[in-house]
Amino acid sequence: MVGLSLGEQTFIKGGIEQDLRTDGRKRLTYRPIFLETGIIPQASGSARVKLGATDVIASVKVELGKPNPSYPDKGKVSIYVDCSPTAEPSFQGRGGEELSTELSSALERCLLGGKSGAGTTYEHMTIRLRSLHIHLLQFLVSEFAPGAGIDLSSLCIVRGKKVCWDLYIDGLVVSSDGNMLDALGAAIKAALSNTVIPKVQVSANAPSDETPEVDVSDEEFLQFDTSGVPVIVTLTKVGGHYIVDATTEEESQMSSAVSVSINRLGRICGLTKRGGAGLHPTVVLDTISAAKHVSEQLMNKLDSEIAAAEACDEMES
Amino acid sequence: MGLKCLAQHYLKSTGPSFILTKKNKPLRRRTASLSKMEFVNPEGLRLDGRRPMEMRQLRAEIGVVSKADGSAVFEMGNTKVIAAVYGPREVQNRSQQSNDEALVRCEYSMANFSTGDRMRKPKGDRRSTEISMVIRQTMEACILTHLMPRSQIDIFVQVLQADGGTRSACINAATLALADAGIPMTDIVTSCSAGFLNGTPLLDLNYVEDSAGGPDVTVGILPKLDKVTLLQMDSKLQMETFETVMQLATEGCKAVASYIREVLLENTKQLESRRGV
Repeated sequence: MVGLSLGEQTFIKGGIEQDLRTDGRKRLTYRPIFLETGIIPQASGSARVKLGATDVIASVKVELGKPNPSYPDKGKVSIYVDCSPTAEPSFQGRGGEELSTELSSALERCLLGGKSGAGTTYEHMTIRLRSLHIHLLQFLVSEFAPGAGIDLSSLCIVRGKKVCWDLYIDGLVVSSDGNMLDALGAAIKAALSNTVIPKVQVSANAPSDETPEVDVSDEEFLQFDTSGVPVIVTLTKVGGHYIVDATTEEESQMSSAVSVSINRLGRICGLTKRGGAGLHPTVVLDTISAAKHVSEQLMNKLDSEIAAAEACDEMES
Repeated sequence: MGLKCLAQHYLKSTGPSFILTKKNKPLRRRTASLSKMEFVNPEGLRLDGRRPMEMRQLRAEIGVVSKADGSAVFEMGNTKVIAAVYGPREVQNRSQQSNDEALVRCEYSMANFSTGDRMRKPKGDRRSTEISMVIRQTMEACILTHLMPRSQIDIFVQVLQADGGTRSACINAATLALADAGIPMTDIVTSCSAGFLNGTPLLDLNYVEDSAGGPDVTVGILPKLDKVTLLQMDSKLQMETFETVMQLATEGCKAVASYIREVLLENTKQLESRRGV
């Protein structure tokens, strides 16, 4: 990206102060969201989301696998994001690896609640609250639902048997104009609602130590339950105010950004803070409540777009 | 031998390719007896209902990546490819800068979900490096690099869906993207592949036909100048048969060229109307 001149920087910051951004939006308004589902025929579920000029594709592949021995009644999910060089010439070769890893781990944190998948996020709160605010922290933690985000136990086929579903979620950033995390979160949510998992019959008479025989049905499918899947809202701090859905220019002027993933029940499933500037704890709590407010609108918008896309899809097929 | 190329790319093929169905049928069932498979049935129809000299449906769109200087999506049946061009711009690596001509770089990468089985490594493997080099050499032949010394042109190709003929789709997409970027070229480059199975030359192989182990000839031409810039072949062929197959692929390239010209003309008309001309 070409650097911004001092005049342009002042213009962006000044606009945000006055609640009128460069493209005419208010601080807490998203760009128009364009959503398509079922674009990858060979995947179990897929979606493409365009957030202004940011274009991402997410695909979900479902395969049979063995569960983690420490969590025998849960399936496994792995998220991998690839930044295509078509988005940015600097992503050529291994240039995009850093950003890919950052996005993949941020998504894992937001959608799975960390590596364990258990959902407790004491360790993910990267800010230390002073003793005065401890009671607030405790209040917040009670909102962190266990197993938040994607429910891994729904991926278990038969409890106790060594078979479970492995979900491979792949994201591809085709074009980037800021706010890739939100777009990827939306694309993954849409792809998951588009995902169908085949029904399986597990042979009951196999000994419990060996891999049982599984008969994967070609005809019957189950829709993946996405009511608990959160949306990710990133709030970028520019100057003294927060904006939602920053473009690349606005992101270049940011001091810090907080990404919160909230699901339909209003529960926080994950939290990430990026950027160098330090934040006062009350400011962070402010951001979280602002994110909650914005997420309701975003959630409704996404759900209606997904329903429309699925209806379109069904009409075509 | 008059080759009537039924390259009616406006004809819809009778359905999606065998392997890429919505319900993710596993590929393994097919590969067991490929050598005994019938690729052209007695009525003269291929696996996806096409005739031997019929191309898959073509679809192209220009200007999909707004950030890039030029970009295009090209679809050949179920193979879908995005190309983005950044340039001419300042050379990033000064040591590679040339005082006489522009530096052309190309990278080919496949998405994780592009093939039936999920790929582990999207880029950096040998096949991707080879195809990157092939595309670069092909495009370099047609770009007027001496008009832009000390600059760099980046061509990035991303495969979204792979169903055979990715190389050709990439070159066609790159041509459109370069035209969209306004980079001067001597002629457009178009590419198509052809093979020989069950004693019949087949145009535009899909993945199943490609993995059958038969010969696969990929040809890239400059249609107006009638010159061949790319010629690759897998497996082996008799000399006379090779001439037939190559001629068939060249006809396919010409059909793609006429489609590309239509798309570019349509795009120019839209630009004209937007500018109020």
